[in-house]
Amino acid sequence: MMFLLQKVYDFVDERIDLKTLEAKMMKEPIKGGSRWAYVFGSVLLFIFIMQAVTGVLLMFYYIPSADHAYASTQFIIHEVDYGWFILSYHFWGSSAMVVMVFAHMSQVFLWGAYKSPREMIWLVGLALFGIVMAFGFTGYLLPWDQRAYWATTVGVEIMDKTPVVGDFMARFLKGGPTPGQMTLSRFFVIHVMVLPGALMGLAGLHLFLFRSAGPAGPFRGTSEELKAKTDFFFPRQVWKDIVAMAAVFLTISSLALIEPVVLLEEAKPDPGDYHPEPEWYFLFLFQILRWKVFGGEFGQFLGATAIPAAFMLLLAALPFIDRSPERNIFKRPIALLSWAVVMIGILVLTVSAIINREFLD
Amino acid sequence: MASVQPKIKSKVRCVDGEVGEIAHVIADPISLEVSHIVVRTNGTQRQVPVSTIATVREDSVELRCNASQVADYPELKREDFLTSKEVEIPHLENKVHVEPGDLLVPFPQLEKSCARRNFFTGFIHVIGALIGLPLVWPVLRFIMKPMYAPYDNRWIKIGNVSKIKTDDVGVQFIFKKSFTDSVLLREEDKNHWVIKATPETLKKIYQHGDISFMDEKGDAVWVNKQTVPYVAFAGKCPHLGCGFKWRTHKKRGQVFLCPCHLSIYDSAGKVLDGPAPRPLDVLPIKVSATGEIEIIDVEYKAGKKEQVRIA
Amino acid sequence: MSHPATAISSVKLAWALSWAAFWTGFPFKAIVVLLLLAAQIHPWEGAGLIALLAVSVPIDIWALGLTARTFFLERMGIEVRGPVGIGLWWQGAFLGAVMLGIAYYAVGATVAVCKKAAAVTLGVVNKVIPIPVAEQITIELLMWAVPTTIVVIVLLLLWLKLFGWRIKRFVVASGQASSADLQERVREWDDWRVPADSILMLVSFTAVAVLLTVVFWVLLPVTTTHRHPDYPPPPTDAVKKKVKPEELLKKTDTALAKAEAVLELLEKEKAKEKKKPAGPGK
Repeated sequence: MMFLLQKVYDFVDERIDLKTLEAKMMKEPIKGGSRWAYVFGSVLLFIFIMQAVTGVLLMFYYIPSADHAYASTQFIIHEVDYGWFILSYHFWGSSAMVVMVFAHMSQVFLWGAYKSPREMIWLVGLALFGIVMAFGFTGYLLPWDQRAYWATTVGVEIMDKTPVVGDFMARFLKGGPTPGQMTLSRFFVIHVMVLPGALMGLAGLHLFLFRSAGPAGPFRGTSEELKAKTDFFFPRQVWKDIVAMAAVFLTISSLALIEPVVLLEEAKPDPGDYHPEPEWYFLFLFQILRWKVFGGEFGQFLGATAIPAAFMLLLAALPFIDRSPERNIFKRPIALLSWAVVMIGILVLTVSAIINREFLD
Repeated sequence: MASVQPKIKSKVRCVDGEVGEIAHVIADPISLEVSHIVVRTNGTQRQVPVSTIATVREDSVELRCNASQVADYPELKREDFLTSKEVEIPHLENKVHVEPGDLLVPFPQLEKSCARRNFFTGFIHVIGALIGLPLVWPVLRFIMKPMYAPYDNRWIKIGNVSKIKTDDVGVQFIFKKSFTDSVLLREEDKNHWVIKATPETLKKIYQHGDISFMDEKGDAVWVNKQTVPYVAFAGKCPHLGCGFKWRTHKKRGQVFLCPCHLSIYDSAGKVLDGPAPRPLDVLPIKVSATGEIEIIDVEYKAGKKEQVRIA
Repeated sequence: MSHPATAISSVKLAWALSWAAFWTGFPFKAIVVLLLLAAQIHPWEGAGLIALLAVSVPIDIWALGLTARTFFLERMGIEVRGPVGIGLWWQGAFLGAVMLGIAYYAVGATVAVCKKAAAVTLGVVNKVIPIPVAEQITIELLMWAVPTTIVVIVLLLLWLKLFGWRIKRFVVASGQASSADLQERVREWDDWRVPADSILMLVSFTAVAVLLTVVFWVLLPVTTTHRHPDYPPPPTDAVKKKVKPEELLKKTDTALAKAEAVLELLEKEKAKEKKKPAGPGK
């Protein structure tokens, strides 16, 4: 068996110089050695692949028409063998992806790996972050139950308030002045074709840029320490990546079993008793818009558009503003403090939104 | 000529003494072999064809010619050439090795252990395979759910026997069949043929005894008895599923005729001519006191000698 | 000469070991949790929780032993012969249990007191400056969450300090300074992760994992356990009456006889109608 594999390897190697390719891809020495802290990027790739696989499976039975979206989703849950598991895995996988994106961005930020010469990797990464959020937003509508319909309607209405382009954007997404079949069709095609293509392209670019710059490595350690622990990307880092993937797979499967997807009633134009709410990773924004200071037209512009946009622009400008070569997070108090404030702020606001549910009646 | 690999900076010796050193090596991008060496001699660079080389050594080459002949070779026009790093010529660097030695980098201590490398490589493959494994069974069942759906054994009213005026003549009954198709409720136009059979025709149809119909588990769903003179034939030709007709044939008289591949059946459904592998399929039939015909819309796989029920 | 063990802070030492050991054990516990869930047993209560805790003990002992030994060797240059995991684990677990007990009361008390204080304060403030609901929720949340977090962090640090102190005593008692340089020590602990017989290890790992996967397939419910109220489960097929061919034939016979009788009657009536002249009333 091994002999046969060796023969196949040699056959291909003669033609495409597999040995050099392997050397270039696998034998990348990592300063300071492979680290569990570096796994989040690979884990994100894994989650994306799982989402693509489960997503394609769901498309075997899902009907993207306003008449049948709800019924076909219920069909998957109740009629198709293990349909409930595939759908719930897809649902929790999307939450896992958002959590990992935050983890990955935090790791890069704290390790100062956005600094020169890695500015472009950071910028492409921010675009990928936007794509992941867009995935979550577009996918949420597809079951066409009350939760899906109203979360989307409110979300698009907020986007509508963006100055200059807001109305155009909202009409583009809705496929008209009001949400309906056109909205579902557009969200479906964006979710299953446009965004996956964009993500694969940008992820490829992200990886290429990363390989060109090389890993930043640990932010502290004497050169003796770094040299002693140096090892190649393959096998040790790949092994850590794959163990992390297995752990994530087990976690998502467990969540799918603990809390499988249960739809509300079918979408209808009157929300009735249902209180519209976005997915949990948008709840902090949702809560902040309830504050009086962000009331009224200007206030809403501030809270929904200006401040989030300013924050994203700040993140984009980060590698160009922060020119100091210092990467040790414990020697970058402003960076550490800002990260903590942002993370805690998001957490506090998310919990506030959950508490706020009781006050809605 | 077998590929010659003269090293750059090698000394160049002619029959009658040393003339200089190799400044460059020129390779042919098509044959991927060295075509010329460029010898730096007397302040000029001469392009010397590789056929002139008699021997290649570690740090010198020996030419067949004289020193004076070297001076006759054309001078190098540097602007006519590029370095191999400036262009992408596939496999060139595999075939031609002319640098004086390799560029070295440190070998990480931890990576020196083959056992370590092999173990983790194996472990990666094992975990990689095992991540996918738990999904295999659920995914297979998920995809296969509708593929072997249970049979539809509902009785459907298709018409009344009063429509049949003559014995042994095929009468078409067109009806609407409504069914659930995943989440949709659909209606399709279907047709079957009913004959009022004469005793001889009935004998032919029931030559193997009463006709029974089973469900997936093998339990009987219905039995057609010879005492009922009405026989329903499924409207799909057993050859490849086309819809057939009752027609008058030039030679054979009144027959069931399939227009697709010209299978011909008599009023008992027996194959008279054409590629049909088996006679017309008989359907479970019930005739009420008022003459209402009910059938079960049984479907069999087309193109097979035996009847394999699929719906 | 001061022992290298005393150079590092207790908290840092305990943290380094506990954090690494927790994540080392996580994948194995995740497998157990997934299997329990597939069997529809909740791992956070009752029998499931007991099973999970029982399984966690050997996993944690092993994980702690491995990470501690690695840390001692690399960072402190100390070799420890003999079992490490068991020696350390029960100490950490005992201290942890005590801390959890204290935390239960401390956190409970903090939350209750702070929530009360927050309610009172906000009640008073609201009378002077009315605070809108959304803002009030966040302020109230911070008023009890921040003190509670501080209490939890203090207790955690206390546990780490005590555990770290115990670990130091353990190291001083059972460890010997290693003479190897950093590169050698790193290579040594790296080598521990390569089994003596890697083929055996990989094959048995694969075999166990495949077995567990099959168990998972057997346990995993085919249809959802959380049905939507509008989609009740299909009624379990009440014993499907097996069709008996003889009965069927008898039924058709009787039906046919009835039909023929009816037909005869109709024909008779038709004949009568024909025989009748135009009828009275003309």
